[in-house]
Amino acid sequence: MSSLQPNVDSTNSEAMQRSNPKKRRKIGHSNSLSLVPWRSETQQRIYSSKLAEALRHVIHRNPPSPPAKSSAGREVRETADRVLASTAKGRTRWSRAILASPLNRWKLRRMHKKVHKASTGLPKKSPETRRRLPVVQKKARVLGRLVPGCRKLTFPNLLEEATDYISALEMQVRAMTALTELLTGGGSLASA
Amino acid sequence: MSSRRSSSGAPTSAGMTDAQITDLVSKLQQLIPQLRSTHSDKVSAAKVLQETCSYIKTLHREVDDLSDRLSQLLANTDSNTAQAAIIRSLLM
Repeated sequence: MSSLQPNVDSTNSEAMQRSNPKKRRKIGHSNSLSLVPWRSETQQRIYSSKLAEALRHVIHRNPPSPPAKSSAGREVRETADRVLASTAKGRTRWSRAILASPLNRWKLRRMHKKVHKASTGLPKKSPETRRRLPVVQKKARVLGRLVPGCRKLTFPNLLEEATDYISALEMQVRAMTALTELLTGGGSLASA
Repeated sequence: MSSRRSSSGAPTSAGMTDAQITDLVSKLQQLIPQLRSTHSDKVSAAKVLQETCSYIKTLHREVDDLSDRLSQLLANTDSNTAQAAIIRSLLM
């Protein structure tokens, strides 16, 4: 009897040891998500310079006369998103998702919107997620659709991706605002 | 198996504890300007998620507007002034 107990303890500790490094690995992975300081000025300057260079290629590719204003705006948006994703250095899922499929994102968005409207009548209650309130589940699903590449993430990972994505978006807005102000100021000076 | 379940509490996804999830929710709440000023204890997770969704939509719309304006500016200004402005932004 006493000989059995230490075996049980050792197997339990082995099981704990086997599960602990997995937990540690997951926690370590989650900590690495916040390594990009989206709020720092240096990061914004890096993003602005990359964006400016990317936009210069866009200017050279398109003729100076405006082809179609809606498509040009979308191209700028896609360029900005791609540069933002590359600035993230691939540590987050949303950045990898943006870099993986730049062309299909907009078409997929429209398609998925239609698909989702058809399937709202089907409630999904798996035994694992029953603990979350269905209200929170619905909102989490909406959030998962908004953040690129995060539709099938677990709830805590989704929250992490969302925090990083929001900081990145704020930086993108700041950088693009500064760039537009620069271009408006530069245009008026050149004409005078 | 039973020990693992008891250590994690209720069956949560990804093996994370509820406390960590609440921590993430509060971190998210700090980012959103609408919820930052309100007392952080009394905001439910559903409200935080909803405000997060609307804030992300707002940011998306802002980026769309800015990119439209940028595309118009880039098309209207000739290449010389555009490149000069871009070089200026690089130096700054």
